[in-house]
Amino acid sequence: MTTGQTLRISQVGLRGVVGRGLSASHIMDFASAFGTFMEPGRPILLGRDPRASGRMIREGVVSALMACGHQVVDLGVASSPVIQHAIGRLDGAGGISISASHNASDWNALRFFGPSGVYLSSSEASELLDIYHLKKFRYHDWDKLGSLREDDTQLDAYLDDLARAYPLDRLRRFKVVVDCCNGTSSLILRRMNERFGCDFILINEKIGGAAFAHEPNTSCATVSLQLAPLVKPLGADAGFLFDADSDRVAFATEAGVPVSEEMVLPLLADYLLPKSTGKLVITNLSSSALLEEIASRHNSKVLRVPVGRQAAIDALSSYRPDQIALAGEGTGAVMMPQFRFVYDGIASMLAILSVLDERRQSLSRIMASYPPYSILKGELPITSSRIPALLMDLRHRYSDGAIDATDGLRVAWPDKWFHVRVSQTEPIIRVIAEQRGDPPAELFESLMDQVRSLR
Amino acid sequence: MAREHLLKIGVSGVRGVVGDFLTPGLALSFAQAFGTYVGRGRVVLGRDSRTSGPMLQHAVASGLLSTGCEVIDVGVLPTPTLQLYVAHTGAQGGISLTASHNPPEYNALKLFNKEGQFFNHYERSELIDLYHQGRFDEAMNHEIRHVRKEGDAALNIHTSKVLAHVDVELIRSKKFRVALDSVNGAGSVMSPGFLTSDLGCDLHAISIDPAKIFPRVAEPRPDTLDDLSELVTRTASAIGFAQDPDGDRLAVVDEHGNVLDNDDVLALVTKHVLPRFPGDVVVNLTTSSVMDDLAAAEGRKVWRTPVGEANVVEMMLAVKCAIGGEGSNGGIIFPAVHYCRDSYTGMAFLLEMMAQTGKTVSQLVDELPRYFRKLGKVTFGHGRLGNLMQALEENFPDATTDRSDGLKLSWADAWIHVRASNTEPLLRLAAEAKSLNRMEDLYGQVTRLLS
Repeated sequence: MTTGQTLRISQVGLRGVVGRGLSASHIMDFASAFGTFMEPGRPILLGRDPRASGRMIREGVVSALMACGHQVVDLGVASSPVIQHAIGRLDGAGGISISASHNASDWNALRFFGPSGVYLSSSEASELLDIYHLKKFRYHDWDKLGSLREDDTQLDAYLDDLARAYPLDRLRRFKVVVDCCNGTSSLILRRMNERFGCDFILINEKIGGAAFAHEPNTSCATVSLQLAPLVKPLGADAGFLFDADSDRVAFATEAGVPVSEEMVLPLLADYLLPKSTGKLVITNLSSSALLEEIASRHNSKVLRVPVGRQAAIDALSSYRPDQIALAGEGTGAVMMPQFRFVYDGIASMLAILSVLDERRQSLSRIMASYPPYSILKGELPITSSRIPALLMDLRHRYSDGAIDATDGLRVAWPDKWFHVRVSQTEPIIRVIAEQRGDPPAELFESLMDQVRSLR
Repeated sequence: MAREHLLKIGVSGVRGVVGDFLTPGLALSFAQAFGTYVGRGRVVLGRDSRTSGPMLQHAVASGLLSTGCEVIDVGVLPTPTLQLYVAHTGAQGGISLTASHNPPEYNALKLFNKEGQFFNHYERSELIDLYHQGRFDEAMNHEIRHVRKEGDAALNIHTSKVLAHVDVELIRSKKFRVALDSVNGAGSVMSPGFLTSDLGCDLHAISIDPAKIFPRVAEPRPDTLDDLSELVTRTASAIGFAQDPDGDRLAVVDEHGNVLDNDDVLALVTKHVLPRFPGDVVVNLTTSSVMDDLAAAEGRKVWRTPVGEANVVEMMLAVKCAIGGEGSNGGIIFPAVHYCRDSYTGMAFLLEMMAQTGKTVSQLVDELPRYFRKLGKVTFGHGRLGNLMQALEENFPDATTDRSDGLKLSWADAWIHVRASNTEPLLRLAAEAKSLNRMEDLYGQVTRLLS
């Protein structure tokens, strides 16, 4: 939905509807801030998802980085994970992914990476933001300007990395239907079919960029639009769907049943924890409590942090890599140590296929092996000035549960929990309630009523 | 302290020193204003060989795409070639990234309409108002178009347009030995092929690598072309050609290695063109009276304009003319090819003139009416200009005055022209007379009055 106020400038970067909030000059200034923030010397990598506006944004970013004296390596249309891997491989100083990821086609965004393709820490991101606001950019003189090089070899190099981390010779026997949402996954999977003889059947694989067949949103509802009905007729083992920059994934079983996006992280935790006993799972306050149940089976723990990529990244950086089993969100964004702690939908899909391979069971049977959790999600507009009072009121009312107030309010009981929080991107409040077994309808409705009454 | 004009934004566009002054953001905003002004369509984008060209080109491309324009990227290309291509491809307009004859630390945006010509004075004001208002057309995702690389076609179109007006076989039959200095500029991509493959010359060229920086002062003037003079002498060439970084200006070296006065270059071409093409002559106020003599001999009229290519072109479009130009800065404008300064037209006509007459360059120059000229400049303080001009006018009560661009005082045998530079805090002086003494006397009087 395109609302009036679409420009969002925060520590996570810059995001908005192109032409209706996000302008070429915002891009120029933000890329100049990044160019000023980074020391010239090592290359800065650049890539974009297929959105048409990415062509305009790419030109501005290239200009800003060259003006700041950087060597720019442009990967063209490339997924965020491909860019992140290439930064490490080419010993880059950092990179920029031009992608609004799971948002509608008229959105776009800049996402920034540091050395090795890591996400910027909060303190780095806030320094970048300060430079952006100060608008004093370090533009170089005519004889010290940067350069541009185009590199189309990084997709294959990324696939080499994937082939080392996952047994593609075994996984390629699975027939998989993929809804590419007209995004970068189309390029990656087409190439995997060519190189490794994989059996990915692609839909919405055109990457013209003017429009997407549907929002590239990795939710159960999007999976049910076009992908799920195709899986069974095609006799496929699974169906997967990716967002535009392929860092998130959603899926459907061989029976054509869409699986909740909440299940990606628990499924992968169950796959990885036996191989990394005692290690930590990092997730946010809004994702399924099934994780705790799975973690306890493997003597592991779940660390819950505020919602948003930045909080997960900061949590990740406060542990040693070998202490962590995996990290992710209930949105289908998962990062694994096997693949450099980069949110990567393709790697997540290969891990799920590895589960099929190891257990020699259908995806339906595997999903049926988990206890049912039912989650209800809602959102309501709210006046920002009322939020503290609302949260305090809820906190008193539900004081019998375990309270976490680090991001809105999360209250947990042994068999259920709820999380009420304010969106970072829109003036709305989100209400999420989950229960082992049946949906927590009563709790959810009561929460929604309370939020409504305070508007 | 003299104020340095490190950035200039005005009706002729934006020009400045790259880095702290001419920033990518500024180029972006100007491109957005341009795209908004010309409307959604094709825009041809090219540049000279300056190091800042690629950086600025990406900024301009971003601005054009953001306003819903399609960008035709022609890369490094002479400005006249780009202008011709704009008209040829049905584009909405064109942008050439070049600071022309300015030093390498400068760059600028030259803006062209859909005919590949400068916007007229009124259009330029509208464009700058749009820039200042800062409210640009913004395309949404589905309206954003592509950057397309074209360019080779542009070279062919320009070449064939020029060659259509000369006797190519005659020139080729002479196998002229020609020296060339393209200052490693945009001319480098076109001049060698033009002079050898097309005109059959035996070419000796220096500075034809656009990947390198300018090896000499960018402006082709008598005091900057020692290398070319030496090359002409060493190779016994019949003529030497020098271009500026964007290939619109031409300077010429004769067979003895002497650099011609730029006014004489324009005069030679005019003398060659007038008998064959109908129409008047348009030049700026500082161009030599040789033009009046040549036009009178053919029964044509000379129209004078304020200094500046855009002013000359605007007048040329308003009157029927055979040729135009600006003497002192090496600009030859031949409208049958295009309404723009074009070094290639100049080269072709001079070679044809040599071929047809069988004369050397120095012989041809000697046949021109003889005038003595002197150009100079003095710095001045803001606020003093009016008094200076007034003093000059009072000092020469017998002169005819023209105040359309500074002050020009004319007599039957001489003139002086004093004007404030558009780009620097300077007064530019020019004096010309039929005798050396008369010219020196006038020039001396003016400099004394101004200092």
